[in-house]
Amino acid sequence: MSTPVARSVPAAISAVLARDRWALAGTVTVVVIALAAIFADVLTALEGHDPYTYDSSALDVNTGLPAGPFGGVSGDHWFGVEPLTGRDLFAIVVHGARTSFLIGLAATLVSIGLGVLVGAAAGYLGGWVDRVVTWSADVFLGFPYLVFMIALGAVVPAEFPRVLLLVVVIGFFGWPSTARVVRAQVLTLKERNFVKAARVLGASPWQVFRTELLPNLWGPVLVMATLSVPGKIGLEAALSFLGVGVLPPTPSWGRSISAAIDWVGVDPMYLIFPGVALFAVTWGFNALGDGLRDALDPRWGGNR
Amino acid sequence: MSSKRLLAIALIGALGASACGANDPKAPGDAGAKPEKGGTLRILSESRTLNLDPAKSQSLAITSLGLVHRRLTGWQNAVGRPAKVVPDLADTGKTPDGGKTWTFVLQDGLKFSDGTPITSADVKWGVERSFAPAFGGGLGYHKDLLGGGDYKGPFEGKELDSIETPDPKTITFKLTRPYGDWPWIASTPAFAPVPKGKGAEADYHERAVASGPYQVGTYTKGVEVKLTRNPNWDPAKDQVRGGLPDEVVFQLGQDASVVSQRLAADSGDDRFAFGSSFVSPAQLAQLQATPSAKSRVVTSKSGAVAYLALNTQKAPLNNLKVRQAFQYAVDKSAYQIASAGTAQLAGDTASTLITQGIEGREQFDLYQTKPEGDPEKAKALLAEAGFPNGVENLTLVLNKSNNQAEKAEAVQAALARANIKVTIRSLEADAYETETNLSENPNYDLTLSSWQPDFPSANANIQPLFASSEIGKGGYNTSRYSNPEVDRLIEEAQSTVDAAEAGKKWAAIDRKIMQDSPVVPLIYTRNSFIHGSKVGNFFIADFPAYPNYLQVGITK
Repeated sequence: MSTPVARSVPAAISAVLARDRWALAGTVTVVVIALAAIFADVLTALEGHDPYTYDSSALDVNTGLPAGPFGGVSGDHWFGVEPLTGRDLFAIVVHGARTSFLIGLAATLVSIGLGVLVGAAAGYLGGWVDRVVTWSADVFLGFPYLVFMIALGAVVPAEFPRVLLLVVVIGFFGWPSTARVVRAQVLTLKERNFVKAARVLGASPWQVFRTELLPNLWGPVLVMATLSVPGKIGLEAALSFLGVGVLPPTPSWGRSISAAIDWVGVDPMYLIFPGVALFAVTWGFNALGDGLRDALDPRWGGNR
Repeated sequence: MSSKRLLAIALIGALGASACGANDPKAPGDAGAKPEKGGTLRILSESRTLNLDPAKSQSLAITSLGLVHRRLTGWQNAVGRPAKVVPDLADTGKTPDGGKTWTFVLQDGLKFSDGTPITSADVKWGVERSFAPAFGGGLGYHKDLLGGGDYKGPFEGKELDSIETPDPKTITFKLTRPYGDWPWIASTPAFAPVPKGKGAEADYHERAVASGPYQVGTYTKGVEVKLTRNPNWDPAKDQVRGGLPDEVVFQLGQDASVVSQRLAADSGDDRFAFGSSFVSPAQLAQLQATPSAKSRVVTSKSGAVAYLALNTQKAPLNNLKVRQAFQYAVDKSAYQIASAGTAQLAGDTASTLITQGIEGREQFDLYQTKPEGDPEKAKALLAEAGFPNGVENLTLVLNKSNNQAEKAEAVQAALARANIKVTIRSLEADAYETETNLSENPNYDLTLSSWQPDFPSANANIQPLFASSEIGKGGYNTSRYSNPEVDRLIEEAQSTVDAAEAGKKWAAIDRKIMQDSPVVPLIYTRNSFIHGSKVGNFFIADFPAYPNYLQVGITK
């Protein structure tokens, strides 16, 4: 029984960042883009544009393309403008970051919260609860959820808040992988003496979960959360790409990328800016998550 | 039927151009080199199906269906001249009683592709067949007029009494009321002959008996349809079809942007091809940079009127002042750019319901303002109507096809300037049709649509969109506009046989409807197409805004 279960999470993070250069770079990327998302209004006010206003004066009158080279990049429009509309691309990208982070983080919260509860219940209670959870997890893992989300996006009335819908739907389909890991973890924890002792002393399952299991689950849960954020952000982008994500005019990287594909031959910058932003966030979270896993996940043991 | 028509045409590749415009050197797109007889013409189509069943078709008289089927009458259109109805199988019809009874006489010696003679009974059979529930979906302007309310088609053994065929060459239609545009109706797909007793099978379109220059050679579902020459078609008896290529091949299920790129590259078989879909704004911008490809892009002079329909039966849009505010709130200039990149390629801003090039059209603008609109005036009108803080929670439904989302966003942004907050709901074609055309009680407030008349008469501009009989049940009155006075005036204008007099009546109706502001006309859309370097006689006349498949040929 020498597994380092309750290693301090903040300590592990600082240790990883000190040692692992990739994790550090990932963290910096994520933090920078997160700050841009949080201060989107300030940044766009500095630049002097918003992501909604059409401006035909920023377009080439002969083609509807952005006026000027590199997609209209200039001191006035830092990332240039969208073709056909003249909307400022920098404003769209930073406000898009807000959409992506909001949905990605909230959906992760939903899926991790659900996964931890369900997984811990299955592992600790065992019996039919465990069987039902395991079966449903298998079903959900094999479920063609993208198709389901597309269908749902099409039938849910427009009045329903779209961001909430995406958070719930993307979050809901994320629980099985978390639940499986948590269940496995709880199965081993259950046999440990401190848990047995609590049980013998008459603690209810909920008490055991809160005071004995949860503190020992933070490590793997944090790793899973960090690694699943980019997946969620990517899923939101995919749904918006397919036209069933956030509704216009709310900026979204996925929708911008979808629109930009048609223009890649004549205005590649339109694709590059939102594309690079999406790539950077996805990569940043993955690098950070990998580092955390090395430090926290006992199954992986050694550090780089 | 424009939302549908546009879609159907854009996808199926029903292009239109004119018979006599063929030799007009000023015709847009005429490459100079004269096409010759022979060769294989390829038509690259986005759609996965090619419907060659006349009963089920909405095809214009000069597009894909016209290659295989002739109709009682045909179209002749040319650049700078209004389109005319001309004889095809028959003459253009005579009416002894002011438009209630119409008699057509077929030409001598007409034959089907199987060698049997074409008789008036076959035309009657074709029209009757369009009433069969299994063969619905085609243009149905004739159905009410022939009093076919309860008629369920000829396959149940009954005939339609309002059509008489006293001899094999003569066919008489007895209408329920006088109708001046009947010769135009006789050019719609249902008036193509189907050999009496045939065409009961659902896949008749895959081996339809042809009356036009081509017959179906091979029909590979979803992939390719090859049309070969109909040996029994006599060019001397057909003034609307050139019938130049030996073969016409439709390649189905092509991606529109790939088609543009292939045609711009102009190599191999693509030199003998044209695309039946519109060239998208992104592709247009790309083609502007390539002079060799730019010269092969053909843009129509005018076309369908694109409009924002306001659901007049739903609050707050049941308030006239609110609807008028929309006339000032929209930004037609931003709409033009969103449609095609430039005003030049998108088309002129619109203010009337009757489209350019239609007889009797009067240019007027009841809500004069800048092309960018006047949000302040819109706000003032909203305040007068009791909405000083603007209106919120309006839903705009749209059909995903043809770049509509970008256009809707332009409208959304423009309306937001006047504190009109709109949510966009994009639907697939079928769901869109269910919501706008079929639903008894839909919950949309706005929809973006465009309408190109099915025949060049103001009647086809106005009646399908604004007669109260066209609300729901598959009709296209998407603003759900109902005005008994307008209904009465429409019926009166429809029964006017003299074209000039009817034109005046329609122009007055146009103005009257615009006073009620059920729709906001945005632009008269120009359509752009691209063709390969060896395709000749590819041009677009004043009406309709599609090239003419019937006159296109291969140059040497």
